[in-house]
Amino acid sequence: MKLTQLFERGEFAITAEVGPPKGFQIDHLIDEINTYLKGRVSAVNVTDNQSSVMRLGSLATCKVLQDQGLTSIFQLTCRDRNRIALQSDVLSAALLGIENLLLLTGDYTTLGDNPQAKPVFDLDSVSLLHMVKKLEQGEDLAGNPLEGEPPSFAKGAVVSPCSDSVDVQLVKMEQKVKAGAEYFQTQAVYEPEKFIKFMEKAKQFGVPVMLGIVIPKNAGMAKFMNENIAGISVPDYMIEELKKDKEKTKAGITGVEISARIIKECKDYCQGVHIMAMGWESKIPDILDLAGL
Amino acid sequence: MLITQLKSKEVIAELIKGKTFIINCHGCKEVYFPEHEADKLQKELSADGDVVKNITRDYICSTDNLHVQLNKFMDKIQEADTILVFSCGVGVQTVAKYFEDKRVYSGCDTYPLPGFQGLTPQEFDCAQCGECYLNYTGGICPITACSKSLVNGQCGGSKNGKCEVDKNMECGWERIYRKLEKLKKLDTLDYPAKIRNYRLPFEELPKD
Amino acid sequence: MVDYTKFELKDKKELAAVLQDKDNLFVVACKKCFKEFELVEEPELHDFELLAAEQGKTITGSVKVDFLCNNILTPKLLESVLPQDTENIFVASCGLGIQLIAELTEKPVYAACDSIAYRGHHGMALTTTRCDACAQCYLNLTGGICPIVDCSKSLLNGQCGGAKNGKCEVNKEMDCGWDQIYKRLEKQGRVDELKNQTVEIRDYSKVNYKFIDEYVESVRQERLEGYNGGIHPAENKEFSEHISLTKFPDPLTLVIPLSQHTGAPAEPIVEAGQHVKAGQKIGEAKAFVSSPVHSGVSGTVVAIEPRLHPTSGLDVLSVIIQSDGENTIHESVQPVGELEALTPEEIRDIVREKGIVGMGGAGFPTAVKLNAPKPIEVVLLNGCECEPVLTADHRVMVEYADDVLFGLKALIKASNAEKGIIAIEDNKPDAIEIMKLKTQDLENIDVAVVKTKYPQGAEKMLIKNVLGRQVPRGGLPLDIGVIVSNISTVKAVSDAIQKGMPLIERVVSVSGERMSKPGNYIVKIGTQVKDIIDYCGGVIGDDVTIKMGGPMMGVALDNLYVPIIKGSNGIIAVETTEQEAVECIKCGRCVDVCPMELRPLYYAKYAESENWEGMKEENIMDCIECRCCDYICSSKIGILSAIKAGKRAIKEGK
Repeated sequence: MKLTQLFERGEFAITAEVGPPKGFQIDHLIDEINTYLKGRVSAVNVTDNQSSVMRLGSLATCKVLQDQGLTSIFQLTCRDRNRIALQSDVLSAALLGIENLLLLTGDYTTLGDNPQAKPVFDLDSVSLLHMVKKLEQGEDLAGNPLEGEPPSFAKGAVVSPCSDSVDVQLVKMEQKVKAGAEYFQTQAVYEPEKFIKFMEKAKQFGVPVMLGIVIPKNAGMAKFMNENIAGISVPDYMIEELKKDKEKTKAGITGVEISARIIKECKDYCQGVHIMAMGWESKIPDILDLAGL
Repeated sequence: MLITQLKSKEVIAELIKGKTFIINCHGCKEVYFPEHEADKLQKELSADGDVVKNITRDYICSTDNLHVQLNKFMDKIQEADTILVFSCGVGVQTVAKYFEDKRVYSGCDTYPLPGFQGLTPQEFDCAQCGECYLNYTGGICPITACSKSLVNGQCGGSKNGKCEVDKNMECGWERIYRKLEKLKKLDTLDYPAKIRNYRLPFEELPKD
Repeated sequence: MVDYTKFELKDKKELAAVLQDKDNLFVVACKKCFKEFELVEEPELHDFELLAAEQGKTITGSVKVDFLCNNILTPKLLESVLPQDTENIFVASCGLGIQLIAELTEKPVYAACDSIAYRGHHGMALTTTRCDACAQCYLNLTGGICPIVDCSKSLLNGQCGGAKNGKCEVNKEMDCGWDQIYKRLEKQGRVDELKNQTVEIRDYSKVNYKFIDEYVESVRQERLEGYNGGIHPAENKEFSEHISLTKFPDPLTLVIPLSQHTGAPAEPIVEAGQHVKAGQKIGEAKAFVSSPVHSGVSGTVVAIEPRLHPTSGLDVLSVIIQSDGENTIHESVQPVGELEALTPEEIRDIVREKGIVGMGGAGFPTAVKLNAPKPIEVVLLNGCECEPVLTADHRVMVEYADDVLFGLKALIKASNAEKGIIAIEDNKPDAIEIMKLKTQDLENIDVAVVKTKYPQGAEKMLIKNVLGRQVPRGGLPLDIGVIVSNISTVKAVSDAIQKGMPLIERVVSVSGERMSKPGNYIVKIGTQVKDIIDYCGGVIGDDVTIKMGGPMMGVALDNLYVPIIKGSNGIIAVETTEQEAVECIKCGRCVDVCPMELRPLYYAKYAESENWEGMKEENIMDCIECRCCDYICSSKIGILSAIKAGKRAIKEGK
């Protein structure tokens, strides 16, 4: 099922994200997905060596998800592969029945656990979208015709609505739409006002946007994100909220409350929500319940 | 432009066995050369090993110049088992080619500096990509100003206008955006996806 | 020589698209670098103008610039040439030039050219040898052949399967790099090393941006420190900087040239056979710009005849005196009195009468300098001694600080200046300390500490750094209210007033890595250089060059039977360097180091064709002959001799 079908129907789409293990034993992952996500979310993203930490491949993991009866979203970054490998992987995805893609530039190599690797960045998110569009039209990037039926995907991209360079991000967003982006999942939002303001400008592109949520686990995590992660800013009052009742925060209740609240405030301004649980997949049902989804 | 840093003493000591002739190149000293560290290291090597001679010359990357400047040392060089060269990679390769029968080792690692001409490194660089993008970016090079060398706009990694890779560096695409904003030419960024041609260096190999 | 031109005109179609909605264009073209220097027109400007004309565009003007990316000279140029009605600027250069122009102007700037892509960086000799600056040199594994540049795939663990007939699969004209490596190692009997090599994987994080940025910052700062350009040759002052001054024994014969100064030679007022005393005037200054000359010993005038001048290479009328060993002092040598009791005019008369000229080398009559036609605000003392090796002024500051200050006060009074500044380079901490101590209670005399960089001591550089003022082109320091003087000169002024002794001796720094016993000697003017060298144990080795002066501006002495004169600050023995000139490669280093912001590569080129007009257009008369360009030249071209030839020809009215 393509995510775009949901948007066309006017449905509020709910998706979640999982990161594969650093190994190839996936039983635990499958358990979590079946227990907490199946039936509650429309599709599940599988990250691609997220934060430049080497992990089990997104493509293979997506296939595992598909076999479990879930709709997967294949995340693809430009950090590790050149255009030849990227096109090849996209065709492979089509073979394995994957219909949804999320196309990103990717974090730099030095941020991860194999910092000496050669950063590729042959393409970036815009040219990657363009590349997939061309494949869908039956041609590769160099103009060579594909054999047989061309693939077809729901092509997604990312944008950071709360970035300090939000005007620059909007320009990039437009580029992505022109290159073929059909839906967006945003970077984590903690300030509904900023998100709403962003959506006022972004809606002119006429492309569905899914609110990104990262469950805040504690005040320390919030502070870390503020200092180190681009496009994320957790307001002070929220950090106070996390600090106030340490037991409650540790149990995940505060995080769930905050996430649900943000969703409630923003859901009228967007077309879906994308939850990045960072290991707290078990909390997702609670959030959705609390948010009335 | 090129500058050098010394390899570690352990690494160098391992390489030089037997009689060693040391050549220091000060040709690009005004750009940078770790003079004092090299001097100290060479003194230590002399104390620990068998250094037959230690000379400082310049522009050893020129074979003609090398020939003239090393003329009076040829006996000593032939006597040596190893020639240890403290210079950039071009100098080491030139000496190695000149003394093809001898073990020639590099005492340095070479790093790049922005700019080509003269002695003063520029504030910005030219990556010699062969397909200048400056017409789309208000005169700021996306290949060198962006750590990822992206050509289609900012990635999501910039924070406070700084690059995710090097927090002391401004996000190149942020700079480009602000420049075009100032020039009232933001529409210049409205171009179909650009993709680099990495074939170009192979089409332009200079001939001797 | 390989042509490493960095750019070429963009594709016509692409340019036409860029030109479409733009008009009133100004075109800037770089004259290119890193290729053999020929006086030819580069085609890009003309081709672009043709294209623009075809598109019906108006060109408001154009300019061709040497080393467009040079961000000292280019900004100055751009300011003056950009026409008002320009709307768009097109730049024909590599990415550096375009980016610089884009930074310098508010107007939209466009690239008319693409850069040319090369693998790796070339060196300073334009050979095919290149280095990719990978920061983890592999040359030690490969016998000196770079696998990153010479292998198309930059493989590190041996040949791939693609080579055919020893040629690369990517480019059939290129040798397989690993094939070459194997052959080289085989020749050296090192193939086993290749077999036993541990698996090499490149570390791409090695090129640490932070460290590079720091270097860029510090190098840029150094180049602009005090004044633009300059160099940092090895100082080599440790041979003599801590050796105290000692008197050099009076020689048996003094040969005193009647011309040791700028201006008309002195005319002899003694004759052969005449007895003279120490401090007695033996040559009279008849012209306005001239100086008298005095005897340094008592004895008999043996002859008055032409003798070889140490630095001009010509014979000059000289007074030869045989010492009687008594050192009887002449009656005119009398202390003159307190400075307070002397008028400025009286001080100037003493300075002139006692034969004092600039002892830093040029020998300009000090009294004439003090009698400036314009008001003087500052007397600046050059305590830099920026020449490597020399330590004469250094020792004078340390050991005769009071005399130096006295002399400075005298100059301040004589020129009606408001204040004095003693500029000292930071490589002389002891001199700085003493001078600071001695001036702390003085209201109008200060010590300025400047960063060591040659030629800091040149008057225009000194004024720029210490006072932040620029001497106008073709002008003099007095045009902006400044007089610059040398340490030894003010010491001589002090002796002239406090002792009544004229300029008959000076400190000579005898030094250099090939001088057996270096020292700093107080030598009588007219002492033979040979005697000094012998006294100091002679030189070490056969490959030695002896110079009068420092290694930079000193004159090589083929003949050691020449006298010490008023401007002889040093006698040095250094290793003779062998060098042969090759073609200029337009590396731009001479332009980068020139403290007068000139373009020395043109002087060398124009000298070849005796194009003196061209040299004049390149402001050759502003050249201070510091030799920075000559020193840094990567092609070992004798730029200084080209400059001297040019200046000579222009002075002769050619």
